[in-house]
Amino acid sequence: MRKKLVSLLLVTAMSVTALAGCGSKADGTEGSKKEAQSITFMAPDWAVPTDEQLDEFTKETGIEVVVNEVGWDDIREKMVTAAAGGQAVADVVEVDWSWVGEFYAADWLEPLEVSDEVKADMPTLETFTKDGKVLAIPYANDYRLSYYNTEQFEKAGITEEPQTWEDVLEACRTLKSTGTVEHPFAIALNAEEKTTTCLMWLAYTMNGVVYNEDGTLNEESVTEALKYMETLIQEELVDPADKTSSGMDAYKRLTGGSASFLTGPTSFVSRSTNPEECSVVGQITPILTPGKEGKSEVTMALPEALGVTKFSKNKEAAKKFVEWYTSADMQKKLNETNSAIPTRNSVLEELINDDKIQNAGAMLEEAKLISSPFPDGIPSYYAEMSNAMYNAINKMALGELTAEEAFKEMDTKITELAGQK
Amino acid sequence: MKKKILPYLLLTPMILIMGVLVFYPIAATFSYSLKYWKLTAPNDIHFIGFDNYINILKSESFWYSLQNTVFLLVLILFGTTILGVLLSLFLNIEVKFSGVLLAVAVLPWALPPYVNGILWRFIFYPGYGLMNKLLIGMGMVDQPVEWLNSRWTLLFVVSIVVIWRSIPFMALVCLAGRQSIPHELYEAAKIDGANVPNIFRRITFPLMLPFIGIGVTSTSVTAINVFDEIVALSGYSDLGKNILVESYLTTFSFLDFGKGSAVTYLVMFLAAILGIFYLRSLNKEVEY
Repeated sequence: MRKKLVSLLLVTAMSVTALAGCGSKADGTEGSKKEAQSITFMAPDWAVPTDEQLDEFTKETGIEVVVNEVGWDDIREKMVTAAAGGQAVADVVEVDWSWVGEFYAADWLEPLEVSDEVKADMPTLETFTKDGKVLAIPYANDYRLSYYNTEQFEKAGITEEPQTWEDVLEACRTLKSTGTVEHPFAIALNAEEKTTTCLMWLAYTMNGVVYNEDGTLNEESVTEALKYMETLIQEELVDPADKTSSGMDAYKRLTGGSASFLTGPTSFVSRSTNPEECSVVGQITPILTPGKEGKSEVTMALPEALGVTKFSKNKEAAKKFVEWYTSADMQKKLNETNSAIPTRNSVLEELINDDKIQNAGAMLEEAKLISSPFPDGIPSYYAEMSNAMYNAINKMALGELTAEEAFKEMDTKITELAGQK
Repeated sequence: MKKKILPYLLLTPMILIMGVLVFYPIAATFSYSLKYWKLTAPNDIHFIGFDNYINILKSESFWYSLQNTVFLLVLILFGTTILGVLLSLFLNIEVKFSGVLLAVAVLPWALPPYVNGILWRFIFYPGYGLMNKLLIGMGMVDQPVEWLNSRWTLLFVVSIVVIWRSIPFMALVCLAGRQSIPHELYEAAKIDGANVPNIFRRITFPLMLPFIGIGVTSTSVTAINVFDEIVALSGYSDLGKNILVESYLTTFSFLDFGKGSAVTYLVMFLAAILGIFYLRSLNKEVEY
């Protein structure tokens, strides 16, 4: 009898323990005063404000911010999993430029109010606008800017800054043939997202077009860019290791001194002046990105933004936080504490003029040329499209496909995706 | 009556746990796989029968991934089984530092798979990774080998990495099997004049077989589910993707939950076939 009693008690204890996890918080009442004054913020490490900054926000608004620091790669996955179950992963979330199309199609983001003044000052806002709705506000500016190592160019006997992509190609050939630099051009070729964007900015700066109005690839422009990449690969002007190393490792060859030319992230402005990250400090100059006949009249932005999730129960508080976080004052502070490049051109200009961003070169001038290569905004099938693009480029880099074949492979997939839209 | 109810009552918690955590997800995933369900089209979720399965089986990408999966399965299974059994026999030898050796042998098993992949990525780095430095140093090659740039060398490297991680479990299971064989059998065999190969063939191997079976089952599941090592070594590229990477890409990258669930079901189906096969072989009686 006693044994039975013990068994029954154990069974009951186990059942209760198992069911405990299924319960909800006792004080989780929607709209309770405490909850309304507290929001959650999911962001990668570089976007997390300091405790002092957050305290300041709480003092100003009475809203407490609980920060959930998550690796950039994991944010999208967590957002997808939570949203699929109709839950908010956080009230405020990081929104990368490449996610905005699918997040909009899936209806996961709450539209935000932005004044015309801000819109005019923040060109990257266009990337996060779909059908006239602003879905997220960019906080970290990243657009494609070119860099070259002046000392290595001079050593190879090149005194002029390259104006066109043809100039860059010739300069790289000279750099290689004179033995100055073995692989002078740094570009991502691995099967990853950065490789897709490399093709996009190359075609965009060459011909001002990447996609047609119907979302398909512009054959002439993209094939020309692919052939340019193919030439770089065949003449070994790029490092063969770039075919498998990460895109960032390929970019870092510039600051490591093993490459002389890069079109890459704006973060390389500060990287090129930091002795801890750059072995050729003082040799790198940021310049306007080359084009076909002269300097390109456009550049592509790849910014990161903050958005408010549709499933958030604290939307108003979350919107206040986004507004505060992307304000001019905070952009200045975040540049100082988190090295974030401001998305407001007025702030960027102020920081450059105050010498807070050193060795800026053509950074500000290039910022004014930002425009989107997507005629109808970022498509909802971006991830699948990008996968087709970077795999085709990588196959071309590995010698499995020619430029024409690579185009055909990616075009078939993108036409199918655009048709399904 | 009481006697009849009590066993069911005692089983209830486990049935509940299995139901919620195992059977419900299996049934739910199957129902998802029969739908057109893209997260980017939330208002267009509808029943499409077996269309997802048909589309997957028609796609080149799936068959390419399946080939890679089978290649990895065969290589990992052979490598792990042979090396694991050999290691278990080696660890069975009584030496002064047996305990330390056992602890060292188990180390790779304790390493998270992604970390394991990163570690080996440095070794097989296409430029001047450790392996290339060794080969060049020994004069075996002139130029660095681009290990991760071709499909088969990449899969070979992935296999090595997974084998390295799987050997300890196989060795431990086989060691347990080896140590459970009574000494008397060996003594009797020696008295009968049996030599070492015969003892191994007639006593050690047959009696270790059920344990090898457990190791093989576990290794097969590991080999089908390789994910972290592939991602660490080659990212989400087409080159080395297996069915699991295909499933992940479809579900979480392309946000196609319907098709992704169908791919997952196919992976489960493949694992189930192997599971049944091994369970059957486990139930066979050992003769010696």
